[in-house]
Amino acid sequence: MMAIQARTSLVYRANYLMNVVAVIFQVYLLRILWTAVYQGRPEVAGVSLGMMITYATFANVQTWVTSPWEFSLIPPRVREGQIAGDLTRPMSFTTQIHARQVGRALATAPFVVATLPLAVLVGGGRAPASLAAALGYVLSMVLAYLVSAMLSVLVGMIAFWTMETTGIFVIYRVVFMFFSGAIVPLWFMPDGLRLVAEALPFQAVTYVPLAIYLGHAATADVPRLLALQALWVVLLWLGGRLLWSRAMHRVVIQGG
Amino acid sequence: MSPVRAWWLLTRAAVRAQAQYRVNVVVTVLAGAVYQGVGLASIAVVLHQFGDLGTWSVAEVTFLYALRLTAHGVWVAPFNQLLSIDEIVREGHFDRFLVRPGNPLLYFLTYRVSLMPTGDLLGGLVLLAVASAVAPIDWSVAAVAYVVLAVLGGACLELGIQLGLAALTFRTLSTQALRSTIDTVFNTFGGYPMHIFSGTAQFVSTFVLPLAFVAYLPGTVLMNRTGELRVPGWLAAGSPVVGCLLLVGAYAIWVRELRRYQSSGH
Repeated sequence: MMAIQARTSLVYRANYLMNVVAVIFQVYLLRILWTAVYQGRPEVAGVSLGMMITYATFANVQTWVTSPWEFSLIPPRVREGQIAGDLTRPMSFTTQIHARQVGRALATAPFVVATLPLAVLVGGGRAPASLAAALGYVLSMVLAYLVSAMLSVLVGMIAFWTMETTGIFVIYRVVFMFFSGAIVPLWFMPDGLRLVAEALPFQAVTYVPLAIYLGHAATADVPRLLALQALWVVLLWLGGRLLWSRAMHRVVIQGG
Repeated sequence: MSPVRAWWLLTRAAVRAQAQYRVNVVVTVLAGAVYQGVGLASIAVVLHQFGDLGTWSVAEVTFLYALRLTAHGVWVAPFNQLLSIDEIVREGHFDRFLVRPGNPLLYFLTYRVSLMPTGDLLGGLVLLAVASAVAPIDWSVAAVAYVVLAVLGGACLELGIQLGLAALTFRTLSTQALRSTIDTVFNTFGGYPMHIFSGTAQFVSTFVLPLAFVAYLPGTVLMNRTGELRVPGWLAAGSPVVGCLLLVGAYAIWVRELRRYQSSGH
């Protein structure tokens, strides 16, 4: 199942190359913007310009794998009736979707890994704060991917209740982007807003791994953050199961 | 029938077609507004943390952002079909518009409509009203008239650039990546006071990709800041004219490129 989806995604190779260029250009623009906004100030809210640029560069590249933009495989399968075939397979539907998502991510991963050095070259970036930070970052990224995958399944199931999902998904995506810290990191947010962001699962996708990488989260804090991400993975997985057991009763097969 | 009236009738028909799905209309417009709301929240967080941007106060930057967002909404709400040109040309749908009486552009722009950008426009107008109250502007009849002209000029400018690029689709069949990249540049920088950027960036944003004319240059006129500009004050004041000229030029390109259209066949 993973291999099938990986091959499906790789059909559009030109698309991937276009994405590489788009991500690098975006990173370049953000570097100009943040440099201008800092105006030579050494630090704002304890964050230097170098740290901020690294954050923006990595966040943009990372978002490609954990992106909510092209996120869910469920709605088109429901709309086009492929769900009928999915349900006859001797494997639970959610497992199939998870396998497909992992397949797609694995197909995308080489492009992302190749983009990162280019993006760092164009945008700018610094090395991880310490060896522990580097290790924590890798672990945290795996968990971040899992959180985003669980969220995709959970939110994608809306398709079982309403076929017209465009508007709802736009709302979901922008809320995701904002509260994940992909646009502005949580460290710049005023206290009230930050508390809201910390209570939501989205920060576990973008902000947490980068706070660990940059050493903005103290080393002693890293295990707690990783545990928090893991907790979200479990909670969202359970949520997905629960929703699926209800969605099963609502499946409408379109076409034939 | 005048083209404007024809456009209005066709647009109303397209909106009615959408309005059949009521809940969807509400959710879609709401989505547009949330999208812009998040953009605004992001810049608000930055301003909250960084305070003034190179002598521009938070109120002044908010006004610039509102001016740009409104101008964007004014063109994108009625003419968003322009964004689907690649698909329309590649799949040969453009044939339909050519065989009807009147201007093909008219039919292309009205054959379908997306209501999401209406949220952009609503968000822009609300924010502009709020920002107008707090920004240091001496409100006179002339100032209000200039804001209206600036918004229309900015809308013409952005529409002109998108139309000119869309026209190239008849030749290249694919301009989506280019158009969305340019749109990203406008979205990223359009609402900032340009003088915080380097000289090169200021030059590019004025003479190469003239996004400074959408909000920044008219903004300096309204807030008496033309002194900080590297271009003469009259050029800044003439921003609405620049927008109109650009749109006229873009239309000329459109008409010329349209002749290159080759149907993909049916």
